[in-house]
Amino acid sequence: MATAKRSDTNAIEISDGAIPYDEMLTLAGEVRSHYAGLDERIATLASEDMAERQRTLERFFLLQGITFTVYGAESSTERIIPTDLLPRIIPAGEWATIEKGLTQRLRALNMFLADIYGEQQILMDGVVPRELVLMAPSYRREMQNLYVPHQAYANVCGSDLIRQPDGAFAVLEDNLRVPSGVSYMLANREASKRTFPGTFRASNVRAVDRYPDLLLSTLKGMAADWRPNPQVVVLTPGVYNSAYYEHAYLARLMGAPLVEGRDLVVHDNMVYMRTTTGLRRIDVIYRRVDDDFIDPLTFRRDSGLGVAGLFNAYRAGNVVICNAPGTGVADDKAVYAYVPEIIKYYLGEDAILPNIETFLCREPAQLSHVLANLDKLVVKAVGASGGYGMLIGPHASAKERSEFADALRADPCNYIAQPTIQLSTAPCLINGEIDPRHVDLRPFILSGEKITVTPGALTRVALKKGSLVVNSSQGGGSKDTWILAADAEEAQS
Amino acid sequence: MMLARVADSLYWMGRYVERAEHMCRLSDVMLNATLDRSDAATQVARIVLAAVGDNDPEKANSPYDAARALALDREDGGSITTSLSRARENARQVRDQITSETWERLNLIYLRVTGPGAAKAFNDGSSAFLHDIIADLHLFKGAADATMSHGEGWRFLLLGVHLERAQLIGRLLEVFFGDARKRPITDHFALTSLLRMSCALEPYLRRYTADVRPELILEFLMFDEDFPRSIRFSTARIEEHLSAASRYVDAGHAGPERLAGRLKARLQYADVENIELGGAGALLTTVLDECEAIHTAIYDTFVAYSLEMRLPA
Repeated sequence: MATAKRSDTNAIEISDGAIPYDEMLTLAGEVRSHYAGLDERIATLASEDMAERQRTLERFFLLQGITFTVYGAESSTERIIPTDLLPRIIPAGEWATIEKGLTQRLRALNMFLADIYGEQQILMDGVVPRELVLMAPSYRREMQNLYVPHQAYANVCGSDLIRQPDGAFAVLEDNLRVPSGVSYMLANREASKRTFPGTFRASNVRAVDRYPDLLLSTLKGMAADWRPNPQVVVLTPGVYNSAYYEHAYLARLMGAPLVEGRDLVVHDNMVYMRTTTGLRRIDVIYRRVDDDFIDPLTFRRDSGLGVAGLFNAYRAGNVVICNAPGTGVADDKAVYAYVPEIIKYYLGEDAILPNIETFLCREPAQLSHVLANLDKLVVKAVGASGGYGMLIGPHASAKERSEFADALRADPCNYIAQPTIQLSTAPCLINGEIDPRHVDLRPFILSGEKITVTPGALTRVALKKGSLVVNSSQGGGSKDTWILAADAEEAQS
Repeated sequence: MMLARVADSLYWMGRYVERAEHMCRLSDVMLNATLDRSDAATQVARIVLAAVGDNDPEKANSPYDAARALALDREDGGSITTSLSRARENARQVRDQITSETWERLNLIYLRVTGPGAAKAFNDGSSAFLHDIIADLHLFKGAADATMSHGEGWRFLLLGVHLERAQLIGRLLEVFFGDARKRPITDHFALTSLLRMSCALEPYLRRYTADVRPELILEFLMFDEDFPRSIRFSTARIEEHLSAASRYVDAGHAGPERLAGRLKARLQYADVENIELGGAGALLTTVLDECEAIHTAIYDTFVAYSLEMRLPA
């Protein structure tokens, strides 16, 4: 039986000389101890076996309807987001640091949001420039002085972490608006349990299946105390949204109704849903609709996705919207640069998880540095997300760079720049062969009465060789992420 | 308690699933007829096309193409492919309300029928293709029955199934017995085809033996208490599910459960012995009209009710 061929794992072309950290192999080419079990299992599988398992996996996703629809001129087709067979494994010690770091970060970011939508002490103390916050498009003046239970603004957060060449994790981006991907974390886990049951059992992997009930209790904890058994709903833009599967999935696993804007009615500042037996009051809305679209009376008037009067009901304290509107100001790419100072300011601690070095183009000195080094930097528009509106200097043509330079000079406040980071690589099954691809890590953090980091994550994969872009809208895929338990007891919890 | 929109989607999912199953039988019976005498095939094709409301006389002359179009034509609003796509689209709308087992069944059929291999599979073995869809739809219904809570959502799903079924069988009977002025169809082949289209051949034979007579078929498909495709059976289920679903709604005198109760009683206490073939048309018209009225009343009561009446005081 031929074993699956492994091509030269450390041979990814890189531009700035640093060799990316490989999740499985040391620089010397030895298998890291936490990958040993998987490595042994793979070695016994022929490449046809691997391909067969990959097909079974894809069929599982297709059957479950974990797909997005591509609408064509004549017919529409369903595609699955590519999922890689081989899990990415993170040992207990490394995870402990990530967990502590994210908890610290979320505490500080929630305090920051409570402050800027309250007394604005941090702005008065000059730690973060006032105009940077108040001029940000994601800052919602409507949220000023509004009571948010437990000061938990970002109830669900999905931060993007990357592993740098030295092996240390750093935060690339905080997603505090309506982060998605958690259903892939759960579905990937289902799939990998089927694919590598023996290895999974032997590895003491921490369970992720508590996520839906933890989310539900976080959401219920946001409701007013005097409302027994609060009614929680999931608000979706509808079946045509690319994350619809996730909305339905979470609603089903929480046992909460999945509502659209057209199912809701606001009357006397209370929110109701239209049921078969009349109107029923709603207490907590886990909304998967952007701020801009939740209420045409308060935000975008042309929105048909939300419900008129929702924000007033929220202001009146009759309903809770999760995440709170206006949380986006804390994951603004320019505000991001100040997060270490924000942590220091509120908690008096140094950030456990570092930021990536970030140049603010609004500062003239930093702008000229960015312009001089465009071929080495990644430039991002502060308001954009999903891999759009960015320039990856080393991979861009001279023409693209000069166009971007013009845009930078015209509107410097709109841009930040970061060095091109070599994301770590993990072994992936590509066309029947094992080959390293760049990956990032998106853990999910719940904030309510307390902050909980789910012991799992979505590992996003840049499937194109050498590519650093992991976004699913740009040809990225995902894979299961095994967080190993320190002992057997921890694996159960 | 469930969302009005969700109840609506479950109801339509039931209707489309039932329609797809029925169209599979019509298509299959048409194809089978082409293997027989050519005039019989034309006659069966004419019956089927009349039952689905297609009055193009040309189509009956090429029964194979008609059967193929009924199965795979995406432009045709009544085709199997279209019905399954719509059933699945509705299921996607309420993905959180139906069990994974139920969803998977429907999704599987949908993927096969709309997939690139569908046309070839039909050409290679149309009967097997249609047979598999029917068998899979039975699995779907079985999965819904065995895994979904038999609560409100399941009731709306079955309401859709039974209302659609009553109307489909009603329309089929209308083609045979609807017009008193025309001589009733007594051709043996046509009559057994009618039983096949209603999935009633074997139960009929067990009840009446191989004595295939139009008045007995009418009696069986309209008034039989136990046969699951008789109109009486369906209306009894409609009444049952509607009275359960209406328990918490004050819909007044126009409530759908009242309409359903009346229709059920009409069939239950009909003077079966004295209904002649010639008089069946009037009764069928009444039944179909009342089914339509129940459909409208369901919509007005549970889905598109006026908000003013339901706002908290």
